[in-house]
Amino acid sequence: MMYILEKKKLNKILSTWAQEHEVFVPQKVEEYSQFLPYTEDSELALKSPHNTRYPPKALFLPQSEVMLKFNNRTQKYEEVNTTPKSRLVFGVRPCDAKAFRLLDTVFDAEDYADPYWKAKRDATILIGIGCEVPPSTCFCTTVGGGPFNQDGLDAILTELEGSYLVQILTEKAETLFASLSPATIEQEKQVEAIQTKAHDSMSPAFETDGLKQKLDQIFESSYWDKISESCLGCGICTFLCPTCFCFDIVDEVQRKERVRNWDTCMFRIYSQEASGHNPRPTRRERTRQRLMHKYSYWLDHIDEIGCTGCGRCVRYCPVGLDIRAMLRTANTHESEAVHA
Amino acid sequence: MHNNGHNPYKPTPMHIVRAYYESNDRSLKTLELVFDHQADRDEFFEAYNPGQFCQLSIFGKGEAPFGVASAAWEGDFVRFTIQKMGSFTQYAHQLQAGDAIGMRGPLGNGFPLEDWKGKNLVIIGGGCAFSTLYALTKHVHHPQNRPDFDQLVVIYGARTSGLCMYKHDIQSWYQRDDMEIHQAIDVPEEDWSHHVGYVPDVVKNVAPSPENAVAVVCGPPIMTKYTLPVLVELGFAPDTIFTSLEKRMKCGIGKCGRCNIGSKYICKDGPVFSLAELQELPDDI
Repeated sequence: MMYILEKKKLNKILSTWAQEHEVFVPQKVEEYSQFLPYTEDSELALKSPHNTRYPPKALFLPQSEVMLKFNNRTQKYEEVNTTPKSRLVFGVRPCDAKAFRLLDTVFDAEDYADPYWKAKRDATILIGIGCEVPPSTCFCTTVGGGPFNQDGLDAILTELEGSYLVQILTEKAETLFASLSPATIEQEKQVEAIQTKAHDSMSPAFETDGLKQKLDQIFESSYWDKISESCLGCGICTFLCPTCFCFDIVDEVQRKERVRNWDTCMFRIYSQEASGHNPRPTRRERTRQRLMHKYSYWLDHIDEIGCTGCGRCVRYCPVGLDIRAMLRTANTHESEAVHA
Repeated sequence: MHNNGHNPYKPTPMHIVRAYYESNDRSLKTLELVFDHQADRDEFFEAYNPGQFCQLSIFGKGEAPFGVASAAWEGDFVRFTIQKMGSFTQYAHQLQAGDAIGMRGPLGNGFPLEDWKGKNLVIIGGGCAFSTLYALTKHVHHPQNRPDFDQLVVIYGARTSGLCMYKHDIQSWYQRDDMEIHQAIDVPEEDWSHHVGYVPDVVKNVAPSPENAVAVVCGPPIMTKYTLPVLVELGFAPDTIFTSLEKRMKCGIGKCGRCNIGSKYICKDGPVFSLAELQELPDDI
């Protein structure tokens, strides 16, 4: 089913939803945008091409999250309430929505389910918005996605003049738009053209065929020294990455809370062992871990690339390192004889 | 093991029943833990397999992973031997009988005992990594389990005699007619009548037969690194040599990311791997 949501009615419909759900929408923060709770004064930042700087994964895996509250004297603890009230995230980009689905394979795995992640996922409706003019740093089509990819979303919007066309994708979103008028055949055709044009505007950023095998092959080569040379090890590529999920667990003694915080394989201490041994002592091994995880290990796990091509790591790297260039170099890197 | 909707980050409440030093330099301390709730006890022993580990949890200090050093039949307790290394283990060493502590586990795969049935076991350990091998040996010793395996050879090395763990019990192994025990220390000491030398050399001298045998090696990385080739030279095939790996860990259930080698997580795909499996993984240890 497809509906037309007039832009002038957007605030009204968001307010209506806000009565039943906690609604998050991208809003202007400094020169960027970020998902924040909707209020009637919210300054929405939905205009393509701008994705939020801060990834919406934080709505499910917060940068810092209390897991348990404890008393260190008695060693007793209490659980915290993991189930939020019903939530609706409006304006999610397809790259970020796909990332949620990828992360479900980690946090809602068959062996162990993560209750903190799962409770928030189960309580959340995701309304996406496609990218009519994908910016130059985006490469979703290279990694199996697209600017109007529906993967992981409950509904997706396409911007038209003065309105949005809404495609309903799951039952969860069905009643939300029921008061709107249906789209006309012309509008549907127009949207199809917009989506195709956006998709076709993105040329392949690098070759993915055989890339995993190539990376596996050059695991011990000098390639990693070269591509990690200018890395500062700041970790921003991983913190802003929608598919990076590593976390640390620490006890905050003053607050009496066991907390998990985002962590990053780009930090030396991340894999530092108590004995002093570190399997990833330099930027070379740490950069290798980041790229191998996304472009080799994810494929071993679920046969999909663990990168959705959002381009945040490219856009926000302080020294301008570009994962696309790194992977193009990998493809052309001559395998070296590293063993006698 | 599936968490069936339980929160897998919740530590099971336990108490320490016995705490004693294992080494004369007081760097190794053994803690024996009992469950506060019968249901937790039942659940643990239902799942536990030698070679598995647990996350010990001390609120205010955090968590750290330790291999289980006891067999299920030994009693209603879970034993850990802890080397004093950082702030968590420093604090754990101060704990005494009666103190509360939390535990998450058992975690990881443990030794593939089903596959080893009917085989000769060659158990090779060095330093405090011998703890899970001690659990394995104790498991095999039980009259109900002993017929499942053929010959049993244990080689255990420590830097000095003072660092040898589980002394009194291991002393009694020399009297057993169903096993061989070889203990070694690095340099000669007065009153030491066993092997002197590094574990790889002792393995070379003892030369256990690879015939219908599996070998398990746990020790410091340097010991493991030099022992594996000795076993290969003795004729052990890569899929009959096993080792247990360690890495920095947080969650213990394959979520937090850091303990991977290639696409395997030490915490949930390991910690026990065969040499054949390790040869498939990138060199990221």
